[in-house]
Amino acid sequence: MFNDILDITLRSLWISGSATIISSLWSILLAYKLSRSSGASRYVIPLFEALIGIPTVLIGLLLYMILSSRGPLGVFRLLYTPYAIILGQAILVTPLITSLCYRVFSNSWNTFGELAYTLGASEKQVMTIVLRESIPGVIAASVMGFSRAIGELGIALMVGGNIRGFTRVLTTAIALEVSKGEFETAVVLGVVLIVLVVAVSFSLRILKRMYRT
Amino acid sequence: MSIRLKNIWFKYPGMDKWVLENISYEFKERNIYVIIGPNGSGKTTLFKIASLIYRPLKGSVFTWDRDFWRLKDKEALALRRKIVYVHEKPVFLYGSVLYNVAYGLIIRGYGKEDAFRKARDYINELGLTYLLNKNIDELSAGEAQLVSLVRALILEPRMIFLDEPLAHIDIEKRKIVLDLIFGLRERIGIAIATHDIYLAYTLADEIVLVENGKIKIVEREDLLHKTMFQRKITRYTYIADVLEKHNDISYH
Repeated sequence: MFNDILDITLRSLWISGSATIISSLWSILLAYKLSRSSGASRYVIPLFEALIGIPTVLIGLLLYMILSSRGPLGVFRLLYTPYAIILGQAILVTPLITSLCYRVFSNSWNTFGELAYTLGASEKQVMTIVLRESIPGVIAASVMGFSRAIGELGIALMVGGNIRGFTRVLTTAIALEVSKGEFETAVVLGVVLIVLVVAVSFSLRILKRMYRT
Repeated sequence: MSIRLKNIWFKYPGMDKWVLENISYEFKERNIYVIIGPNGSGKTTLFKIASLIYRPLKGSVFTWDRDFWRLKDKEALALRRKIVYVHEKPVFLYGSVLYNVAYGLIIRGYGKEDAFRKARDYINELGLTYLLNKNIDELSAGEAQLVSLVRALILEPRMIFLDEPLAHIDIEKRKIVLDLIFGLRERIGIAIATHDIYLAYTLADEIVLVENGKIKIVEREDLLHKTMFQRKITRYTYIADVLEKHNDISYH
């Protein structure tokens, strides 16, 4: 049982970790671009904020249709693989990370950007200062994205298939154990999930404090 | 040698109302300007346009007779470095007081060691050694205001815009701030936004009222009755002390 839990935990970590990293790459870039354009951000950010609470099963369903053998991306045979879950979770957390990072960058431009100008910084120096001072906020946004990804069930179940030793992650394992009536195992997995989320959040908080000092 | 605003119009994105409407005014070196006006009247916006942070939607800003927003990057940067704006609520980078004071120098091309040495000497010279190694998070509101002023002054600007420099700070610190300002009045241009009418009355070479997006030069006498009223409420001894020190005149 211990080996199973360890296996599921490590898989959850790498799937949700990869999804968060991939999503962060495009979300941070998009958020930075939006923070520099007043026109586009007026429509895009409210839309993204509305999408933060989108049901995971809906993304799961859409992705299922796209990745199934008759779907437009069926040729890649990604359905029921960890990569399908990574893709789904990356899409899921994109609105969250983008809108949080947008706030971080906008605030940074208004405060640190302005400060940099008053101190006589060149355009390049201003951008460097804004980006550097945004790092703690961007990290916090990514951590929130990770927490959302590792805790979702709908996508992992629908496009991952909960295949033992291959696509089974903590949330799908909990759902399975409950359906089998194995509540003890489900509780243990639940505790692992919570410990993971809290541990990641705390360690990054410490990192953030170290960065600030 | 001045910053000249010509027919400036400005409003913030998404707002219908103009914050500044057709403003023309000139800030000259070796003068003290005090800008008064109610909250939200546009004092800060005017300062940010004059200190080249905001670009006006209409009109021109002439810095030392050059149309700033038409200049190429290099020339614009050189002019921008002659002007410093100090926020009402100081903004700091994460780190120590020393780092923050030295940062403007680093931006201007000083080596890290030189910048830190100069900043340390300057802070010591002002008798603020106790602030040197404090972290920014540890500063009181008054200390923060003082540090942001020191950070601006070490850059030796030709024109400085101080947005409510005495807000949130106690009388002892006000003395230090005013002392620093008076020490500079012969060398650079100083513009101060404040609600303090007595300060405007005693300090300014010219008093400007900003109201409903427009500006108006205020005669000293027009402020007098308000000043007398304020004087009854507080004695303003801290200003008198500083004035005495610099002008050798008793204001008590």
